[in-house]
Amino acid sequence: MADQLYWDDVEEGQEFKLTEPMSSQRLVIWAAASGDFYQIHYDDDYAKNNNLPDIIVHGALKGMLAGRLVDEWKGEEGKIKNWGVSYRGMDPARDDLTVWGKVTKKYEEGGEALVDLDLGVAQPDGTQTTPGTATVSLPKR
Amino acid sequence: MAEQLDDLTDEMKSAVGQETGRTTYEVTTQGSRTFARAVGYTAEKYFDEAAAKALGYTGLPAAPGFLGMPVFNPQSAGRREDTFSNPFERRLNGGTEVEPIEQVYGGDVLDAVSRITSLELAAGRLGQMLIQNSETIYTRESDGAVVAKTRGTGISY
Repeated sequence: MADQLYWDDVEEGQEFKLTEPMSSQRLVIWAAASGDFYQIHYDDDYAKNNNLPDIIVHGALKGMLAGRLVDEWKGEEGKIKNWGVSYRGMDPARDDLTVWGKVTKKYEEGGEALVDLDLGVAQPDGTQTTPGTATVSLPKR
Repeated sequence: MAEQLDDLTDEMKSAVGQETGRTTYEVTTQGSRTFARAVGYTAEKYFDEAAAKALGYTGLPAAPGFLGMPVFNPQSAGRREDTFSNPFERRLNGGTEVEPIEQVYGGDVLDAVSRITSLELAAGRLGQMLIQNSETIYTRESDGAVVAKTRGTGISY
């Protein structure tokens, strides 16, 4: 298990990320997990007949990858207050995606030690498709 | 192309704040594991109940964002009625926000109630768009606790 992250040790500007391989198999597993069986995510012919260059990653999967990034970063004693993303672009299904977070604000409010984050999903060439934000409560030392 | 609207219709305006649907979600342990696998988790607590209990959880915890699957019934699937007449035929998912409130566990049954929180017309590169924001509140049947809220943005054009 990862070491616990403490609010005292977080600094504004701090960055963290994870890189996830995507594949048609991954998207089929997500379809089973989410109940989203829209064919543009796993049927090449269907996607191309809908003017897409290839099958594309489910938006909701990208949102949940951002949630996982925050969940793993905050550690067992941290708590996600909220997170959200906007779907601004499509991601092809067979490239790695890098999900990143950056600390934008560190503050205390209502008796909680909080951190605001910017989030995003980047394609291998750096194209950003899924900007987001999160707020996390962390334990203090 | 859909007709251009000068303003929201009266039906659209009255839809804001209205309940748009009630759905029952089952959080099964298998569904929870499949979600965690799909998202790429490797933490044992999301797969092994004993490992989770060793950390203080009371059952198999659902990873953040997993709120179960709607109970499927072929007799009613796909029959949701629109709250208002929408002249825009194409739909996009604009975004999602999750507010986890209480830990959700495998075995929970959640009642989800959705409401439209705002509707607005906007101009974009796709032409005129209707932007619909909505909120869904998930309540656990066993204890009445609100376990999560989600907010979504739907774009019609």
